[in-house]
Amino acid sequence: MSAQAGTGTYSPAAASGDKRRERREELRRHLAEDADWPRADGRSFHDCRPAFMQTGPTTAASGSAYAEFGKTKVIVSVFGPRESKKAMMYSDVGRLNCNVSYTTFATPVRGQGADNKEYSSMLHKALEGAVMLHTFPKTTVDVFALVLESGGSDLPIIISCASLALADAGIMMYDLVTSVSVSCFGKNIIIDPTSDEEAWQDGSLMVAFMPARKEITQLTLTGEWSDGKITNAVELCMDACSKLGEILRDRLKDTATLTNE
Amino acid sequence: MVGLSEGEKHFIRGGIAQDIRTDGRRRLQFRALSVETGVIPQANGSARVRLGATEIIASVKAELGKPSILHPDKGKVSIFVDCSPTAEPTFEGRGSEELSAELSVALQRCLLGGKSGAGAAIDLSSLIVVEGKVCWDLYIDGLVVSSDGNLLDALATAIKVALSDTGLPKVNVSLSAASDEEPEVDVSDEEFLQFDTSSVPVIITLTKVGRHYIVDATSEEESQMSSAVSVSVNRNGQICGLTKRGGAGLDPSVIFDMISVARHASQQFIALVDSQIAAAEADE
Repeated sequence: MSAQAGTGTYSPAAASGDKRRERREELRRHLAEDADWPRADGRSFHDCRPAFMQTGPTTAASGSAYAEFGKTKVIVSVFGPRESKKAMMYSDVGRLNCNVSYTTFATPVRGQGADNKEYSSMLHKALEGAVMLHTFPKTTVDVFALVLESGGSDLPIIISCASLALADAGIMMYDLVTSVSVSCFGKNIIIDPTSDEEAWQDGSLMVAFMPARKEITQLTLTGEWSDGKITNAVELCMDACSKLGEILRDRLKDTATLTNE
Repeated sequence: MVGLSEGEKHFIRGGIAQDIRTDGRRRLQFRALSVETGVIPQANGSARVRLGATEIIASVKAELGKPSILHPDKGKVSIFVDCSPTAEPTFEGRGSEELSAELSVALQRCLLGGKSGAGAAIDLSSLIVVEGKVCWDLYIDGLVVSSDGNLLDALATAIKVALSDTGLPKVNVSLSAASDEEPEVDVSDEEFLQFDTSSVPVIITLTKVGRHYIVDATSEEESQMSSAVSVSVNRNGQICGLTKRGGAGLDPSVIFDMISVARHASQQFIALVDSQIAAAEADE
């Protein structure tokens, strides 16, 4: 893999449209008013961690991807399409089977990642709208995600990485799915939170987005939010998602040129 | 599982497009709601809620426990959902596991608020008895007795009613013991403290069928959905939780529209639930 197949930033910036820029500037000003603390890793509120993504770390899989966003490290393998288990009923559309697991050393306390069932179903919900299930009837595509190290924003990174792995496996999709989450602290919205920030957040919002189709495949929210704040946060996430989509696309192109050579 | 013929599917979709659903309701109209409190004497609070043919029993049990080291000033709340095979044969054994987990997670997301406790339905610090030593552990259980769609909204309503029925026994603590010892507690079985449930939200699920969305979908209507958005709204109109179901992607503007529709519908629904609670309490 070439060395430059490396990091890319996808922080939402004012590059998209004047109206949005205005709104974002307004938001920035709001933030500036009562923002008197820098983030622990020196980022500003709307800076994402550098995204390092790579395809093809595992050779046995049909497709795989590795993602490293700050401390969070995720590896996703995609197997299939292969014959569904015998016990499964006949289905004229394909099945997507998602599983998220944590290594025992992924969290500060050993073996703490017990909530992976929740993440598995969330991953499934975020991806099923993007995968053309009708292209592989009677068969199953397995998506196995392994979190090597949990450093915050785990689920969004798993989702983005899984969609890269699916694309690497050549599974037909309507679009790539990228995902970004934000945390809210009082009035402030910070993007791509680390686990420390997630532990003290007042609320969180996660968007899974198909950048080319401009559709939201999954949206979850906790905490107390007003209407305007949701709109702001979702737009911020979508902007970052579009940029992350570019990075994913570049990674796929990299591999394509490599195999051609 | 819902088995529908092509004709029936067409009828349901056509009805929704014309704002007259198969049971005669409008798109944003709920089914009849009936509420009963105090159905489980063993629990600290309980409720049975019927929304059309969907029936839920919710119970709240309180036990004295120890607060976690990370949050010595907060009690604990856990929410579990169980889907009984009496509701649907597919719920038998492990068949309901996925659905139960999905519902529990959605309820936790809507009721427990952020990590710092902001936007939580239950003020966790009100559950503390002795800081760092004794607190109440609330176990909220929802049981799906009969299932005809819109389980999440019905569960949230049942939990809201059960919480308003909940009385926590008054605890007398003898502070004579040295500070590092376990304090002695005396749980009163006569005096109960009512619970502040004003901030418990309701959940409104908007189910998108074709180009339109409906509230309180029956399971037949749910089988025709492309996606559904569950929004939890509290009395102040603040959104305190949101989950999306169904695979199809949604345009952002549709989601924002759905949120504002849900917010509007929620205020009527909260008023309805409140009046039902008052009526149920008067009956006792």
